[in-house]
Amino acid sequence: MFNLPETNFHFCGDEYIYAEISREMRVESNFKALAVTEELRRRNIPGIIDIVSSNASYLVRYNPEVISARDLADYVKEIDFTKSDPAGLDLSVRIVEIPIWYDDPVTKEYSRRFRNRHQEPDLSNFDYVMKVNGFTDKQAFIEKHSSLPYLITMVGFLPGTAWHFPLGAKPSDIIQAPKYKSPRTDTPERSVGIGGAFNVVYPVQGTGSYQLIGMSAVPVVDLSDRLMDLKDTAFLARPGDIWKYRPVDESEYTAIQARVSSGDYRYKMKVIDLSPIEYIAKGKEYIEELMGDF
Amino acid sequence: MMEIKSPGLWTTVQDMGRAGKYHLGVPPSGAADKYSFMIGNLLVGNPVEFAALEMTLIGAEIEFQKNTIIALTGAPMKAYLNQQLVPFWETIHVKEGDILTVKECLKGVKSYLCVSGGIQVAEVFGSKSTYETSKIGGFQGRKLTAGDRLEMNEPLPGAFKQVGKSIPLELTPSFESFQELRVTLGLSGYLMSDEGLKAFLNSEWKVSPESNRVAYRYTGAKVSLTQQSPPFGAGNSFSNVVDFAYPVGSIMFPNEEELIVLHNDTTTGGGFVTIGTVISQDLDLIAQSRPHSSCRFIAVTIDQAMQARMERRKKIEQIEEMIKR
Repeated sequence: MFNLPETNFHFCGDEYIYAEISREMRVESNFKALAVTEELRRRNIPGIIDIVSSNASYLVRYNPEVISARDLADYVKEIDFTKSDPAGLDLSVRIVEIPIWYDDPVTKEYSRRFRNRHQEPDLSNFDYVMKVNGFTDKQAFIEKHSSLPYLITMVGFLPGTAWHFPLGAKPSDIIQAPKYKSPRTDTPERSVGIGGAFNVVYPVQGTGSYQLIGMSAVPVVDLSDRLMDLKDTAFLARPGDIWKYRPVDESEYTAIQARVSSGDYRYKMKVIDLSPIEYIAKGKEYIEELMGDF
Repeated sequence: MMEIKSPGLWTTVQDMGRAGKYHLGVPPSGAADKYSFMIGNLLVGNPVEFAALEMTLIGAEIEFQKNTIIALTGAPMKAYLNQQLVPFWETIHVKEGDILTVKECLKGVKSYLCVSGGIQVAEVFGSKSTYETSKIGGFQGRKLTAGDRLEMNEPLPGAFKQVGKSIPLELTPSFESFQELRVTLGLSGYLMSDEGLKAFLNSEWKVSPESNRVAYRYTGAKVSLTQQSPPFGAGNSFSNVVDFAYPVGSIMFPNEEELIVLHNDTTTGGGFVTIGTVISQDLDLIAQSRPHSSCRFIAVTIDQAMQARMERRKKIEQIEEMIKR
């Protein structure tokens, strides 16, 4: 079993129950959130409207005219106690490659445009993230950021946004960054951001408060039905999936973009069975085994 | 068909909102003031959830190309049918070629135009509601512009018998410039100091003009956070928590002087200190609160929240009984 404290439950207004597994981010908490929400979804309870697994917590929206709030809370608590064993969690997930152009001109330009909301107005977001994590060499930073695989721990914010958190790293070894002091009013589509210990790829243009370190060459949402791999759901991210960044230069970035536009691009993907119990037991070693030569 | 001659300030197609896609980051959307919206549908003989137009501060000018019945509800905008003043909260007969002109309101923000049979647009993820940020649902995923032509369904059989029916004043919202909003406390409220919580509940908060269907922003008071160091993974500010899925109605503090309440087009998750949730009935009041109007937050228990929900449901049932044909 996971070594986790007791989950805290909250009634939120008349339609939501929020369950906080841990206050700090831990991969174990995320696995537990996945296990509980999967079980709840499987039971298909009338009156439950939405079930959301998030980083270290989960959220249930319900119709209190169908289920009473207290009865549902008791019901969810029981699942939380009895069905959160990671051994029962069968995660058939995908490893997906995200080609990224680090320290590119677009995110540099956004760093300049929103400098007045930033902690260090004279640095680009990329240079700022290097600095607060103690890097002076750009290649060393890129190597570090792209070497770890990232677990999709939550989907949301705007449709298609996926929070991802590094796997197989000690907390002290994780690249982290403060969020903007005041959120940007604009963020470029496909930019890659870091906030706290989380990464995101912004699916569409919009607001944002994470530090921008590069551009993904591939979209994470496709409502136009162009790309074969996104035909089913339109969204690339699925909770439990693993994303791996691969650094590309400008010419490869442009070439991939052209293949995306023509609809020929296929994501590099591999389907694997992710065992939370082995991850907890073996950590980094297990992740290296899983990734193989991906 | 209805043709939009002038769209007004911000007019969209809405229904009762989307369910089941929150885990993908798709918010519910739907009518901002559900009470007014539902009454509009009842007046024209529809089930409460049929799609209608939501107008904001200044209404639209619309030419009807079909003989049907309509009702206007919500914020009292001045409205004219072929230059004749027409009332809100009453079922009206319109004929092919008639022009409805809806002007500004002096109280409230959102008004609804319901038509018998509902507005016909495609459903996206099970709802006709417009979610503009991702261009999902409604009419081409966006607010209406001049020249748009929207399909209306055929008026429901017997609907014309509804003409002239109206809602008594005591069952319509009052659109006061001061609102009391009921909240359940919880979530990451442990990061708020006792003085901060007192300041939150005892102060008047003013609606900022930056408010919209995504979120309402308030200023005017100051709270204090406990200044305990943020948990691992949250970021390094006292107002940061590990990002989580936000309930609609959540009350968060990005800093000690700015309060945000998330509304129906909310971003579905994020990582600011969140101390409670406005009950769903009172999201209607928020949607009708004008920039610079004020409010106070009242803490309630889950049982009181359910009681409030029951009272509104009874009102809707009473209206249904009163105007059914």
